Amino acid sequence: MDGMIYLSLAYIAMIAAIAIWTWTVVTRSRSIEARLAAVESTIGLSADEGDDVASQSVDE
Amino acid sequence: MRGRSPEVLLFTGFAGIATTLFLAWNWAPSVSINAFESPAAQRIFYWHVPSAWAALIAFTVLFVGSTMWFFKRNSLGWKLHVAGSEAGLACGLMVVCSGCIWGSAEWGTPWDWSDVRLNSFGLLTLLAMFLVLGRKSQPDGVETRDTFSTFGMYGFVLVPLTYISTRIWQIRHPGPVGGPGAEGTIDGSMRFVVLFGALAFTLLIAGHMMMSMRITDMEQRLEQAQKKLDEG
Repeated sequence: MDGMIYLSLAYIAMIAAIAIWTWTVVTRSRSIEARLAAVESTIGLSADEGDDVASQSVDE
Repeated sequence: MRGRSPEVLLFTGFAGIATTLFLAWNWAPSVSINAFESPAAQRIFYWHVPSAWAALIAFTVLFVGSTMWFFKRNSLGWKLHVAGSEAGLACGLMVVCSGCIWGSAEWGTPWDWSDVRLNSFGLLTLLAMFLVLGRKSQPDGVETRDTFSTFGMYGFVLVPLTYISTRIWQIRHPGPVGGPGAEGTIDGSMRFVVLFGALAFTLLIAGHMMMSMRITDMEQRLEQAQKKLDEG
């Protein structure tokens, strides 16, 4: 029975870790999305002007 | 990328993983108490194998993205590199942690430094950790991306090595129970739970990688906006 208790604790710890990771990623995405929408609507930047480093390296 | 499909994948995958654990705990048959030191700990297998599968998908995405960036300077390639390294690190840690739990219960030691499978997978996880932490500590630029992409490409050699390791050198890690070179078979209901878990982890990791690509894209656009604001 001890083995099943340890197993349950391990399962709970691992699924909790995945839940925290997933929740963190989703809230981070929503927060950046809100900031970006506010900034882009203020200065009128289009979505295709995104990766400055990639466009610089192609220009080189 | 603007749709809600990453969130749908994430939550479907998460629900699938929770179901896998419920099935593993409650429904999958027990193993013979004579064959294992710790029969209950064997059920960690339903977490360990699907997360290893998801890790290998993530490392493949890392390799593809690194190659696309290095040879084509492709923006999508860099986003794939970022997504693959983050997902590879998360899944790698899940595999290593669950393996250590099983090792402690079954072998009496969490790690065996002489086992090729353990060490090659450990190195892959460390590589993903280096890429994730290194990228956060360096300013973004062509040279930085080239350096990390090189590690992403050459590090991929550890993936086939990890796959074949227990087929060639079986030291401590159990041998394969499915696919080419398999030495044994598993019960049908055990196989069902493992495959269900693999599908759930695949959905979760696909959702995480799509979400990561979206975040990278938005961060780049924010940086552009910041530059435009600074220029007045």
